[in-house]
Amino acid sequence: MGKKSKRKQVLVCCGTGCIANGGLDVYQAFKNNPGGLFELASSDDIKATGCHGLCSSGPFVRILPDDITYCQVKAGDVEEIIEKSIKGNELIKRLLYRDPQSKKRVQNLEKVAFNSMQLKKALRNVGLINPESLQDYLDRQGYQALRKALKMKPEAVVQEIIDAGLRGRGGGGFPTGLKWKACQATTSTPKYIVCNGDEGDPGAFMDESIMEGDPHNILEGMLICAYTVGAAKGFIYVRDEYAGSVAALTKAISDAREHGFMGDNILGSGLNFDIEIVRGGGAFVCGEETALLASIEGNVGEPWDKYVFPTEKGLWGQPTVINNVETWSNVPLILLEGAKKFASTGTAGSKGTKVFSLVGKVVNTGLVEVPMGTSLRDIIFTIGGGVPGKRKFKAVQTGGPSGGCIPESLLDLKVDFDSLGQAGSMMGSGGMIVMDDRTCMVEVARYYLQFLAGESCGKCVPCREGIRSMLEILERICNGGGCLQDLDLLEDIGETVKTAALCALGRTAPNPVLSTLKYFRDEYLEHIVNHRCPAGVCKELSEFYIDAELCNGCGLCAKNCPVDAVQGEKKQPHVIDNSKCIKCGECINDCQFLAVKVR
Amino acid sequence: MKILIDGIEIEAQPGETILEATRRTGIHIPTLCYHEAFGGQGSCRFCMVEVTKNGSSRVVASCTYPVNDGIEVKTSTPQIDKIRRNIAMLLYKRAPNSLFMQTLYKEYLCTENNLVEDPYEKCILCRLCVNACAAMGASAISTVMRGTDKRVATPYDDASAACIGCAACAEVCPTGCIEVQEDNNIRRIWNRDFTMVACEECGKNFATREQLAYIADRSKQEADADELRLCTNCRRKVLARKLETFNG
Repeated sequence: MGKKSKRKQVLVCCGTGCIANGGLDVYQAFKNNPGGLFELASSDDIKATGCHGLCSSGPFVRILPDDITYCQVKAGDVEEIIEKSIKGNELIKRLLYRDPQSKKRVQNLEKVAFNSMQLKKALRNVGLINPESLQDYLDRQGYQALRKALKMKPEAVVQEIIDAGLRGRGGGGFPTGLKWKACQATTSTPKYIVCNGDEGDPGAFMDESIMEGDPHNILEGMLICAYTVGAAKGFIYVRDEYAGSVAALTKAISDAREHGFMGDNILGSGLNFDIEIVRGGGAFVCGEETALLASIEGNVGEPWDKYVFPTEKGLWGQPTVINNVETWSNVPLILLEGAKKFASTGTAGSKGTKVFSLVGKVVNTGLVEVPMGTSLRDIIFTIGGGVPGKRKFKAVQTGGPSGGCIPESLLDLKVDFDSLGQAGSMMGSGGMIVMDDRTCMVEVARYYLQFLAGESCGKCVPCREGIRSMLEILERICNGGGCLQDLDLLEDIGETVKTAALCALGRTAPNPVLSTLKYFRDEYLEHIVNHRCPAGVCKELSEFYIDAELCNGCGLCAKNCPVDAVQGEKKQPHVIDNSKCIKCGECINDCQFLAVKVR
Repeated sequence: MKILIDGIEIEAQPGETILEATRRTGIHIPTLCYHEAFGGQGSCRFCMVEVTKNGSSRVVASCTYPVNDGIEVKTSTPQIDKIRRNIAMLLYKRAPNSLFMQTLYKEYLCTENNLVEDPYEKCILCRLCVNACAAMGASAISTVMRGTDKRVATPYDDASAACIGCAACAEVCPTGCIEVQEDNNIRRIWNRDFTMVACEECGKNFATREQLAYIADRSKQEADADELRLCTNCRRKVLARKLETFNG
């Protein structure tokens, strides 16, 4: 923004989370400029941007250069914001972010713990630019990396990526530079460049935020790779549900073509490259790269054995470089700041940053980008603000549905590709779901296995039949019909699926089971031996009661009980009638005094 | 190139898989979804072997892993035996009604457990039927759905217009789960009825009308060609008679 810094700019978050909370209405209200109340240098100074990150407090309105961020803004607040903070220099206190720790209102959101520990590299433009504006991207060094690359030898560009130590952000963690090098070395043509935007993990939106918030960044990464390996055609495979991503990418591709960044003879360099968007068909397994390639080819989305890498035989049997959205968005930055600078962040084996979508039982939910090697504790407690209410942290599930659950004892784990794998989980594409003591770990394993039972492609026996069998056992345990031999059988089948399944989905599918068995075996034993679900989740194995010592008779549980099973006088301890109770858990969730217990 | 299989050095051709190279040596690697006619699918994972290259070992599907110079293959290790035993167990639990799986379950010394069995199921989803149908050029059947609901079917389980009733699917099926009913010159398969055509020599039914029409169309043969009139046995006899006249 540099020289224009005197000018007031309004950034309205129109990421998916904020849109769901009325972000577009807020943006429109600014655009309508009620009563011509304020003058901006140009209408470009009101920007609908991508995700600002702290989704639990959106929609956001950020005013620059003063750097005021208002939270949970409604369209009805816009007139007041214009009057006081744009025309005037007054703060609207009630709209400022309230820091959960200090309880103070904060003007500059960049300074709160949620943001101050983050390092935005892949997300460097997301939330700051209008994703529909090529000019906005150009103003932030857009396409400078491509210009730089085009002046270098292709081998030198690949070497830069190798030296940076960039590893695939989609979950595999394969060194990106080596992948490019392998493809560069092949002589067969045509070659293809593919971007994997089939983000299917429940609760994950890292890639969506980049596709929606900074689409040119992805295109630039792909263009640089196309130049280095000699490809003329690229595909971006976008999860079908991501209509916003498709729209943003379509606009970006068309603008890039119009301005000579894509098409024939790009920037006069002789490079020809174009990109086509392919929408997914709604199958989680198509996030697996060979299944994705099969899907682009028009075949059923089933993976194939990768004993020959896609860099040699990929799309239509031709050399193909396939990387994930976040990986692509790191590429231009590496060229801009240099491999050395990029590699100065991170751990020995994992360089740079990683974007996580931090969700679940955590105060600040949202999109988080931290240097590799940041501890889980910092991510969950400092950035995330810990577990809400008086509940205790129990586990964090990383890596999507086929990731593992990591217990409190490992919270100081420095997060990178290798450490998460060693802990029995995985980086995956960066999902991070926090669970509190109201979570039953057996039920969690059952839930993810149920997801995977529907989302496995069903091609190979270990995955299809192994998941079916493990799910059957878990359902039995949750319903109170488990036996001790079940645990051995779970481990036995789990090990086979882990080693014998065809693709990464299958090989990681037992993670939810094996990791919970490893770290929360006592919960399995409680279910099986004592017929008790300690978290009070499995209905057949739960019975609730109210601790008379802790209950102050506020009556909230009685009021909210859907079957009138809670009785008691005001200000007197209440009791639960177990003959009526349907074990929905409403009372236990409501109680601020933790008086509702599981027997 | 030379590769080592169970300690025996053999000569392998670039492009072939470990399974193909091994079959020539007489060493047995068990398979369920492999058929010489269609190549490896990598789906049953019964043919897993251990491959060591440059000192590091991994377990791979031998039907899809292409040989490369200097690899050492072990076709049986405790880990691999366990994988095969578990696959036999899991597939038996899926399809306990097939004699094929009952035999395999015993052969691999699977131990009893309390996983639920579907007493009627015979299909192990090896997809040889789907491959056979595709190789015939009809592609009337395919796998449908995904995950644990995956099964083989015609589109929407309707009688398929693409099906020629050749029953190659049933022929190749290892568990005998594809039903072919023949009654009164009518063959019923995949929810569709086909009229059978009798061999002009021996009078036995040898093909469906649709199958012969399909062959005639694809091979551009005249309607009086032997392939369209005679069963395989009688065609051989006719050919033998022709050869006799040449010799005589």
